Amino acid sequence: MDRSPPPFFRQGPSANARIVFFGLLSIALMVADTRYSALDGLRTGIGNVLYPLQRVLLMPRDLATHGMGYFTELSRLREENVELKRVEALNAKALLQTEQLQNENRRLRELANARERALVRSVLAEVLYETRDPFTRKLIIDKGLQQQVAAGQPVIDARGLVGQVTRVFQFTSEVTLITDRSMTVPVMIQRTGMRSVAFGGAAPGRLELRYLASNADLREGDVLVTSGLDPLYPTGLPVGRVTRIDTGNDDDFARVVVAPAAEIQNNEMLVVLQVDTSAVPPAPPVEAVEPGRRRARRGVAQ
Amino acid sequence: MNARREEYLLQPVSRAFIAATIIASVMLNILPWGRDIAIPDFVALVLVFWNIHQPRKVGIGIGFLLGLVMDVHLSATIGERALLYSIMSYFAWFLHRRVPWFRMGGQMVHVLPLFLGAQLVVVLVRMAAGAPLPGPSLFLQWISTTLLWPIADLLLLAPQRRAVQRDKKRSL
Repeated sequence: MDRSPPPFFRQGPSANARIVFFGLLSIALMVADTRYSALDGLRTGIGNVLYPLQRVLLMPRDLATHGMGYFTELSRLREENVELKRVEALNAKALLQTEQLQNENRRLRELANARERALVRSVLAEVLYETRDPFTRKLIIDKGLQQQVAAGQPVIDARGLVGQVTRVFQFTSEVTLITDRSMTVPVMIQRTGMRSVAFGGAAPGRLELRYLASNADLREGDVLVTSGLDPLYPTGLPVGRVTRIDTGNDDDFARVVVAPAAEIQNNEMLVVLQVDTSAVPPAPPVEAVEPGRRRARRGVAQ
Repeated sequence: MNARREEYLLQPVSRAFIAATIIASVMLNILPWGRDIAIPDFVALVLVFWNIHQPRKVGIGIGFLLGLVMDVHLSATIGERALLYSIMSYFAWFLHRRVPWFRMGGQMVHVLPLFLGAQLVVVLVRMAAGAPLPGPSLFLQWISTTLLWPIADLLLLAPQRRAVQRDKKRSL
């Protein structure tokens, strides 16, 4: 009656069957994650289990940097102090003026019936680690749902825009850098007021302006700031500086390379601007990673 | 390639030791290495090692689960590493009768294409989904991982190489 092989030979399903099963399951998970973001629960679950381990394993590095720091501290602090005093003196004037300008601005806005722009709350965050995924440019910071960080909020450092919160966990969040290929930032050339969109560039650590007419008024060294045309990025955050303008290629557009203003690569402390993300319309459901380029090409051809 | 000269009759492996080494490898991967190019993938190394030496204890399912954990840590698309580690386990299953007969050099010659092949499959899947072409660092890390193979062999088989009865002539 029992024709199954003795237990010695019984090894469960064959390796071929298993790889087909797990391979298809992986691909299904990838599709579910990228297209429908249906796996946030799973991610949060594993993330919460992993979180204590991650924090413990970051401790040796932090201890090492702090220990090393102790010895270099004194001279560095002294230098920093001198520098900070100088900057403070420089800033004092600007600060005083800012207050006055803000008042003036408010009055003018009221006059123009403009929407009062609320001051944005913010939270200071520390960079825990950079992810090693070679496809993307992301950081993990140590503030999450507990501190009311929400996906979509912009992240800045002392010099400018760093990126955007793209995923939030209980105690940590993931920040995608503006140099990531999937990122776009609405920008304005400060000198001329011309608006454009900065894409995460093809070159590592750079941004790019696409679809600018070859004869657009643009010079190397022009400063780009956020244009405020979207509900997320407040107006006037420095984004970058134009480093190269390439008009010599065959299509009618200039290729403009922009170096980010923020120190994208080696940041320790960042500020998350807690703008209200509820005003953002939901993203269109199914779009591939880099639809912008293709759609625009098609648009040109028509 | 010659068969290796010295041969040990290995003691049976303990499941607890396998589990401990896998957990240790996850911890090594979580350590903040930064984005420097050729950081080896310790989890893949330990996983493939046990897949080759203990294919009945560590299989594709464990690779899949480890992949999910690393996906969350790396904040990558869920399923990417799961697929990578599953395929590695599968390739390792193919090679598991063959590889242990070779000396270190020969084993590494087998393991490197295994890593690279699995990575290539995953890159192709991602590119089919619209991801851009990744840089060479993606493949460089497998070279450094392969270079750690002899160390893995030394450490992970050490408990099995102990003599049942200690005597003075043998060091272990």
